[in-house]
Amino acid sequence: MRSSRFVPYGFAIPAKYGYSASALLLSLVCVAIIILFTGYSPLEIYQLIFIHTLNNKSRIFLALSQATPLIFTGMAFAIAYRVKIINLGGEGQLHIGGMAAAVIGAYVTGLGHVSHVFLSLAAGALAGAFVAFLIGIIKNKLGTSEVITSILFNSIIVYFTSFLCNGPLKPAGSATAQTKAVQATARLTKLVAKSQFTTAFIIAIGIAVLLYFLLNRTTLGYEMKAVGHNAVASQVQGINVSRVYLFTIMISGAIAGLCGAILVLGVNGRYVEDLSLNYGFAGLSVAALASYEPLATIVSAIVFGILKAGSFAVDRTTSIPVELVSVVQAFVVVFIAAPRMIDRLFDLVRSIFDLKKWRTKRI
Amino acid sequence: MSLVAMRNICKQFSQSIIALDGVDFSIDRGEVISLLGENGAGKTTLMKILFGMVKADQGEIFFNGEPVLIDKPLTAIRMGIYMVHQHFMLIPAMSVLENIIIGNESGTGPLLDLREARRTVVQLIREYNFDIDVDALVRNLSVGQCQRVELLKALYRRADILILDEPTAVLTPYEVTDLFRALEIFRREGKSIIIITHKLKETLHIADKISVLRNGTMVKHGIIPAETSAIELSSLMVGRSVNLDRRRPAKSIGDVCLTARNITVDHGNGNTLKDISLSVRKGEILGIAGVEGNGQSLLLKALVGLETGPGVNITVNGKKLRKSPKQFLNSGVGHIPEDRTIMGIIGEMSIKDNIILGYHRSRPFCKHGMRDEKEIDRYSRDAIEEFAIKADSGNMKAGALSGGNQQKVMLARTFSQPLHVLIVAQPTRGVDVGSVEYIHNQIIGLRDSGVAILLVSADLDEIYTLSDRISVIYEGEIVAECLPGELTKAQLGLLMTGNSLTPVETGRD
Amino acid sequence: MENKKNMTTFFTQDVFYAIFLATLRMAVPLALVTLGATFSVLCGVSELGCEGMMIAGAFFGVLASYLSGSRWLGVFFAMLAGIVFAMVHGLMHVVYKVNHTISGMAVNLLASAFAPLLVKLVWNTNSITPTVDSFKTYEHTALKRIPGLSFLSEMNIFFFAVLALVCISWFYFFKTKRGFRMRSVGENPQAANTLGINVIGYKLAGVAICGALSGLGGASLSLGQLSQYVDGMTAGRGYIAMVINAFGHYRPLGSLLGALFFGFFDALQLVLQSSAIPSQFLMMLPYVVTLLIVSFGLKRIKQPAGVGKHHDN
Repeated sequence: MRSSRFVPYGFAIPAKYGYSASALLLSLVCVAIIILFTGYSPLEIYQLIFIHTLNNKSRIFLALSQATPLIFTGMAFAIAYRVKIINLGGEGQLHIGGMAAAVIGAYVTGLGHVSHVFLSLAAGALAGAFVAFLIGIIKNKLGTSEVITSILFNSIIVYFTSFLCNGPLKPAGSATAQTKAVQATARLTKLVAKSQFTTAFIIAIGIAVLLYFLLNRTTLGYEMKAVGHNAVASQVQGINVSRVYLFTIMISGAIAGLCGAILVLGVNGRYVEDLSLNYGFAGLSVAALASYEPLATIVSAIVFGILKAGSFAVDRTTSIPVELVSVVQAFVVVFIAAPRMIDRLFDLVRSIFDLKKWRTKRI
Repeated sequence: MSLVAMRNICKQFSQSIIALDGVDFSIDRGEVISLLGENGAGKTTLMKILFGMVKADQGEIFFNGEPVLIDKPLTAIRMGIYMVHQHFMLIPAMSVLENIIIGNESGTGPLLDLREARRTVVQLIREYNFDIDVDALVRNLSVGQCQRVELLKALYRRADILILDEPTAVLTPYEVTDLFRALEIFRREGKSIIIITHKLKETLHIADKISVLRNGTMVKHGIIPAETSAIELSSLMVGRSVNLDRRRPAKSIGDVCLTARNITVDHGNGNTLKDISLSVRKGEILGIAGVEGNGQSLLLKALVGLETGPGVNITVNGKKLRKSPKQFLNSGVGHIPEDRTIMGIIGEMSIKDNIILGYHRSRPFCKHGMRDEKEIDRYSRDAIEEFAIKADSGNMKAGALSGGNQQKVMLARTFSQPLHVLIVAQPTRGVDVGSVEYIHNQIIGLRDSGVAILLVSADLDEIYTLSDRISVIYEGEIVAECLPGELTKAQLGLLMTGNSLTPVETGRD
Repeated sequence: MENKKNMTTFFTQDVFYAIFLATLRMAVPLALVTLGATFSVLCGVSELGCEGMMIAGAFFGVLASYLSGSRWLGVFFAMLAGIVFAMVHGLMHVVYKVNHTISGMAVNLLASAFAPLLVKLVWNTNSITPTVDSFKTYEHTALKRIPGLSFLSEMNIFFFAVLALVCISWFYFFKTKRGFRMRSVGENPQAANTLGINVIGYKLAGVAICGALSGLGGASLSLGQLSQYVDGMTAGRGYIAMVINAFGHYRPLGSLLGALFFGFFDALQLVLQSSAIPSQFLMMLPYVVTLLIVSFGLKRIKQPAGVGKHHDN
């Protein structure tokens, strides 16, 4: 990757965000081509997704509330990736966190609002952290890569929570698979009436700030970055790499568990089987687009939140389903991961418009 | 007319790295040419161009007077050129036979039938007296045998021009003799051999002609060994006369500071340490001489806390150390690792972050778990100035520095700390000559300030120059201890290969 | 089917036979994907994208069968789709040197995003397509009469394809020059490159074959076991295939045996559905076994040394 490539308007954006923007642009272009095949005009569709969503207050808050779980799962993947751990278990950690929060939120009584919310959130975070702990221990002590173990845990956990909410924890007389409704004291406060926008968004921002602080201002964050860049040198120079791995993956799992918790305590009010619209894996795209920086995941998640909210409108008025957004997310990962591809494309574009400069020998 | 001639070869890897600048080179049939030069002089690049692995920016290659285009290794192989690399290109999981025949397998049509290939290879082995089992797995072979497999790959493809890149770097003196014997046979058969090396003594012994490269230019081509000397050659290599063996003995040696007692490590994969004991005093340098792969890496690991098994007993100033690298670092054991890119420097991080690495948890860099940016900045600015590190600022990525400057970063990191012991390995590997002197001076200076230093180096000259005492390691054991003046380098070489010194052995110097 | 049998009377001969048949049936898609994974690893490329290639095969096979009315075209396009998605992984990792985990997951994400999208666009339905022309079991009366082999009549073409492909793969890797060269590329791409072997070509070929076989595995689900595409029908088999691959020492025969082993647990879960154990725990069983094996059982098995490496490191 070349450094300081993009210097618009006099100030240099770190090159990695330039690649993020290019990747997003390319993904939208690819999806535009797909839209063409369906007979619709891509410009109209994108106008519907972006402009239409952003010119209405309730739709803006819809976008933000769709972005909120993505901030969590995005941060979860990103923080793990900073130490080169690939935690694909966000989905499972989310579910177990949601289940834990649902249980504490429904069955613990006699607590004030703040403490009940705090306790339920903590339960969710701990549940997610515990699963991540198992993945981390298997990696440290048994040497098994977290890639495959985290994916396997996803399936196991989802079956387990399904069992719980179809069986022991299902309220009597309930037709659908779910748990008992969470007490009112544990529900997250709605910040905007008649919307899904709750304090979860504020919590997400807070966690992002904490992570930024951790990575850039603390010695532990320094060790994490060192391990992510060169684990061998870090170990030789006295850093306890196994402990860094374990700590980081537990943070990652806790954040993913928190995501499940806020979904349960906020929008749904209980644990349901379709709690997550694939937020776990979407977190990968969010994190990749944000170049794995905690504060940037907020922006990245909001972009995808807008896409998601817009896709609801598109789904209503056209025959194009909401799954369109997943395709954009998948393309983002493809393009983000291959900066050289983007370099080549830009060289191609530049060569078309700048033939003279292209001809001279580059020494 | 030369067999192979290269004219005006130029190669630039990037804006600042000019590998070759108008180099001419040629070799005749049946000639052995030694291509001399320091690390980074461009020798390997030049030969990689001849072998088709690298494409030259400018210049031409002539084969028997005809211009040829060598765009990939296969073309070179078809012309009879074959290159044996410094790091062998072998497949440990496959057999000797399989390794040799890749790409040239025998068998009808698409089917694989190794019987004919086996006959050919066995014949070759017999012809050159190589003593290798064709069905042995390469992972079970010694380094010298691996090299023979590489040579067989060349012979199987009927190579007439052999390029050997640092062939003796990993061989014991005994294996070197074997290699030279084989090269003699090749020469008599009319094969041409180009040996890339930086070892002067072997060059004078084996070559018909010598060519010296320095910083990408051919300083002198076609030197006759009989008409030159080691001193002259090394001057050509570095551009100024170099004092080869200037020693500075220790002035005052104090009490024993570091002891390693009965170190025994066995990981079951052949890599072992067998009951090693050594001690280093304050203000002295103990040099560990040995061919790479005889346990040095394990010994280094044990001495810095990376090996913490029951068989490891290290004591520094009376305190037993057995927990972790962190404990060693905090106990005043400084460590300059043997491979800076893998073990010492984190290229993606800034210079200042690299300078505090290992000590980042203590004051003044860390206060209550938080980094003290001002202190770190100040410290790194001072260090860059004091150690003459060529960098624009402490925020530059360490990976952008040259090898010598990266080594200096490691020195800046370690030497500024209060040390009792310094464990230093391969301090000048891949470092430009100017920095070599600087680094040696720094190590001597540290020794004179009372630090106990243990030096591991594959460079026998460096051991000789710096050490106050020398120990020889062979197959995980200390087989000899001596003072620098007591034994000749040839005798040390014998000890390094597990031979004992008998009156019959004549030192070959 | 009788409900909630007593455990001791449960395991009759019928049940054993049912488990045996189910094992073979469940092993078929697993064996195909795992064979694909074997090709990928042996040519030195990580097999992480197999799940995506399988999804692509399962979906596009049904799509092609629907549009053309022919199940043979369905299979053909299933394999083609697998190859196309495999090439994404191949291009990103082999040519553009992307980290193989990311490029593999990119394939998985792409396929799992495309399939539901296209299901909605084409059929305007949520997650299950209409049934299409597919491969039924053979029901050959001749086969039924052979003693001991009568079960073969209960198998469909994919079963026989697996047996044939395993043999062909073994022959390719160990008895042909090309297969030998592919293995050398997987072990040490730099060495192979120096000796004139087209490393990128072999790696892309290996990845393409992995895509074709994984796509075929997907087709064996949607055009073999069922006659339609169901969202999520691959159920992580691509990931399990990675573990079976290692379990089988990265050899074609090992892939088959490993698939049978894991297929057994899949089959067990199917057959025990009527017993007292809650269905979710049964469905967990294959994943738990996989997790245990991958955590504890794969110590000594080493991949080819060149996996993830390029010819010009």
